[in-house]
Amino acid sequence: MTDEPLSPRVAVRLLRRPRRFGAVNWVGLATLYRREARRGLKDHLDSLWGPVVANLLYLAVFGLAAGTIDQPGNAGSLLAFIAPGLVMFTIMSRAFEMACASILFDKLEGMIVDVLQPPITPIERLTGMAGACVSVGLLTGIVLALVTHLFVDMRPVAPLTLLLFAVLGALMLSLAGILGGLWARRWDHYAALLTFFVIPASFLSGMFYPIDVLPEFARDLTLINPLFYAIDGVRYGFRGEAQASLAVGAALLIAINAALALVLWRLFSRGWRLKS
Amino acid sequence: MSFAPPRHRRVGPINWIGLATLYFKEVRRFAKVATQTVIAPVITSLLFLAIFSLALGRTVQTIGGVSFAEFLAPGLIMMSMVQNAFANTSSSIMISKVQGSIVDLLMPPLSPGEIVVAMVLGGVTRGIAVGLAAVIGMSFFVPIAVHDAGFILFHAIAASLLLAQLGILGGIWAEKFDHIAAITNFVITPFAFLSGAFYSVQRLPEPWITIAHWNPFFYMIDGFRYGFIGHADGSLTVGMLLLIAANGLMLWLNWRLIAIGYKLRP
Repeated sequence: MTDEPLSPRVAVRLLRRPRRFGAVNWVGLATLYRREARRGLKDHLDSLWGPVVANLLYLAVFGLAAGTIDQPGNAGSLLAFIAPGLVMFTIMSRAFEMACASILFDKLEGMIVDVLQPPITPIERLTGMAGACVSVGLLTGIVLALVTHLFVDMRPVAPLTLLLFAVLGALMLSLAGILGGLWARRWDHYAALLTFFVIPASFLSGMFYPIDVLPEFARDLTLINPLFYAIDGVRYGFRGEAQASLAVGAALLIAINAALALVLWRLFSRGWRLKS
Repeated sequence: MSFAPPRHRRVGPINWIGLATLYFKEVRRFAKVATQTVIAPVITSLLFLAIFSLALGRTVQTIGGVSFAEFLAPGLIMMSMVQNAFANTSSSIMISKVQGSIVDLLMPPLSPGEIVVAMVLGGVTRGIAVGLAAVIGMSFFVPIAVHDAGFILFHAIAASLLLAQLGILGGIWAEKFDHIAAITNFVITPFAFLSGAFYSVQRLPEPWITIAHWNPFFYMIDGFRYGFIGHADGSLTVGMLLLIAANGLMLWLNWRLIAIGYKLRP
């Protein structure tokens, strides 16, 4: 090692040479992923422990309510039905919130250039962001499942099915969140997406009740709700019983994810609501 | 050229104009974004009504003499009222503090008592607005009968008042938005959920009955629900005295805190 300074001529030549990378800018991708994941984990008091407490409360009130109006045995089976749905709901809503808030925050603060300027392609940008949201969503889900396991048996019977549906569902909501973040112009829009879209779609997706208690029309409506298939698949992973065909569910989720990814790739390339 | 010497405005024992101005500012703050502050909570409580009725309603015939959905509706309405009364005052103070516009509250000739009263009334107005909207929304799905309007009104106002005051306390104490979210997640929501909104407390096993009877939210919901269905799980007198006492205590505390400028003045 020499500490000798470079001659000016060599330094200029080095600076003029563009950095080279292959087909994929791995460093850029990893940097974006790390930045997004750190951002998602930073406020863990509210974004991780908040949902954990909320889910335990849901289990408590459902269990207590079922216990007061029903035989105690049924409360247990009701909780075993609800718990996987709550875990999946938290994974998906966390993925959505993270993706949507990240883009909107950058847009409003004028920091979005930091994501647009570096040499990363739209596909890399999409992969880095969605990957981080899926990871943080799944991490939240794992913590939640472990805490829930103290009260309700949460040992998975079909871990691979569980993983497949958890990833597909989290990815779908991450992509939807990115789309929402691109579309939104104010925080009101973000809140409206959550209250009027994500939460109703999840709550009415058969998270809390089997779909055969529903009247015909509501059942048909549930069957076209993609969140229903994600939650149903995850419930199969934990309990070994599903209400709809897993193959249909997986195919539908893959198709929706592919369509969303295609749309977002186009929107990122054009800079829709990003470049003025 | 001569000027009349400047005169300062005289206010009597109560600055009515200032009080009304602050109150209307608080009301306009939430009315401007009514979709988020009134409609959204109504949608959420309708969702709760749907999921609880669907998950539990088919196994139970009656509870407290009425159907499960009728039992549930008043509790859900009360929950959204108090959560929004809390949100109104806490977010108002928090945003003012973060954005530095809190001076606009501290500089005008308003006494600490006038500040507390005007802000709390703003929170109560939001609570009542949400409650009315929720009653209207729910009446499409559940028969809503009035047994005793006096109990409904008393508990609606006393509960919104108490939570609006807690919101002031929370807003004064909090230093960033995360703190408000933490109070909501770890204090308000647990108390509201475990208050007997979703089940008849009488039929719970111990220790849950005792826990419920120590929860002020239980009395708000129980008395409010009595006004609709004519059945109460606990003592109405105890509940009303508790709410009055808690409101009095909180009013004094907030008045003192604003008077000394705790966490508001540097």
